[in-house]
Amino acid sequence: MIWMLILSFKPGYKIVANPWSLPHHLHFENYTNAWTTAHLGHDFGNSILVTIGTLIVLMPIGAMAAYVLARYPFKGSQLIFGTILGGMMFPFFLVMVPLFMLMNQLHLYDTKSGLILVYIAYSLSFTIFVLYGFFQTLPHELAEASMLDGCNHHSVFWKVMLPLARPGMIVVAVFNAIGLWNEYALALVLVPSQANHTLPLGIADLASTQQYQSDWGALFAGLVIVILPVLIVYWILRDRIHDTMLAGAVKG
Amino acid sequence: MAASKSGINKGKGTFIVLYLGPALIIYLGLVIWPLIQAFQFSLYRWSGLSNVATFIGLHNFQKLAHDDVFWRSLEHNLALLVIGGAVIVAISLVAAHLLAEKGRSARLLRGVILFPQMMSLTVVAILWMFIFNPQFGIVTGLFNVLHLGNLSKTWLAYPPTALPAVGIAFAWFAIGFYAMLFSAGLKTIPDEVKEAAELDGAAGWQKFRKVTWPMLWSIKRIVLVHLTILVLNIFVLVYLMTAGGPDRATEVLLTYMYQRAFQDSQLGYATAIAVANFVVAMVLTFLVLLVIGKDPTEARP
Repeated sequence: MIWMLILSFKPGYKIVANPWSLPHHLHFENYTNAWTTAHLGHDFGNSILVTIGTLIVLMPIGAMAAYVLARYPFKGSQLIFGTILGGMMFPFFLVMVPLFMLMNQLHLYDTKSGLILVYIAYSLSFTIFVLYGFFQTLPHELAEASMLDGCNHHSVFWKVMLPLARPGMIVVAVFNAIGLWNEYALALVLVPSQANHTLPLGIADLASTQQYQSDWGALFAGLVIVILPVLIVYWILRDRIHDTMLAGAVKG
Repeated sequence: MAASKSGINKGKGTFIVLYLGPALIIYLGLVIWPLIQAFQFSLYRWSGLSNVATFIGLHNFQKLAHDDVFWRSLEHNLALLVIGGAVIVAISLVAAHLLAEKGRSARLLRGVILFPQMMSLTVVAILWMFIFNPQFGIVTGLFNVLHLGNLSKTWLAYPPTALPAVGIAFAWFAIGFYAMLFSAGLKTIPDEVKEAAELDGAAGWQKFRKVTWPMLWSIKRIVLVHLTILVLNIFVLVYLMTAGGPDRATEVLLTYMYQRAFQDSQLGYATAIAVANFVVAMVLTFLVLLVIGKDPTEARP
């Protein structure tokens, strides 16, 4: 990885000649090349848009559903929860063709909003699963006390429970964001045109064209652009990420 | 009391519907409905977007049974699962023991071990393509230093080495996660058990084989189930590193399915491959649960 960082500052022809030597000075033009000539700047924008667009819808509706399932048990609520958990088990490749057809029918194929909608749907299982556990640990008395104080169900959720669940919300959001930022296969199938490409698609395209143009410096600059935001976030929240990952695996 | 109770229940029904509704509609529409359709599609001959789908019953599956590429792909998945899985489990266990140590290097390892997991699989694929690059990759460099220059073939383009090369990249990606799982498992082994084992004179390899390994049974089960599903769903690495080539030497079920669906436009047949893939995953998972179903430490009196 450190090697990758070093290479991202070397001109392409020197990488081929001697991949091990240190660059004499930092070639920032690799980054500008990757950003503009290879459209990675544009893809970066798409990735940001798709990731944030997904989270803005996913987090509230996921939290609302998790809260109802955790705190308002009704006939069939366990069945619904089980069905939602099942979504974490089966591979999405099973639904790839039907999903592709469905997006076509809804005229959402090859659109960013279509990709966002699919991302929301396929992130719901994990989101609801973790937040469900979180809402269950919050004290029951608190909700009852606020109801007696004249709050209705809505204000209990938004004013009392959701603020208490903030730590859980942050972890789940970060986790989803990392997964979405890195996602490749769904985007490959659902957004073929370059205008809608996200970063993983862009970098994969760049890699396949570099084999002919051999501007390896720009490619490595591109790789750094893809992973740097994730690594920074990961480093800040690594302990919580570890715990959530393990919990997800053990239950899933 | 009765009054306040009814106050709490007021508007409960609407609240449930209103809050559960959006998530449920999206989930049912985009996850469950396509899932049902997948099983339906696999029974049709359906090419492209022509809307002409002919019901052919189980014909797709009969065709699959005689499809050499399907069986070869399945073999590759299973090879990655058995050989790759064994390597991954072995290295993860060693790494998990290292993680349990105290001191600076263990802390550093804890920090970086999940780095590959945080990377997009596209990045992992590109990185390893570069490492295996015959002109200037590390592998070639290493062999040249060792004067084994004639071994430095174009790994990813040479059929016998292509699948192992992809397997190495996959293992590199996966190990961190399993090491974390095993290290969580090691923490659950009570200290008394370890001490008792040491008093009995067990140490090192013997202690691991007789005490640690059996005690990790529930984690082993999780790891194996997880690994089975992960390997059967391997796609991005193969698709980007070799696209199933050379000459289908690295074709796996999902790259084959992708080719049938989006290059050959055989949507029905492709879905049948996906369904077969799912069934294989279920059967293997069931076998894992059957073999490691019981707690071996409780079985003994």
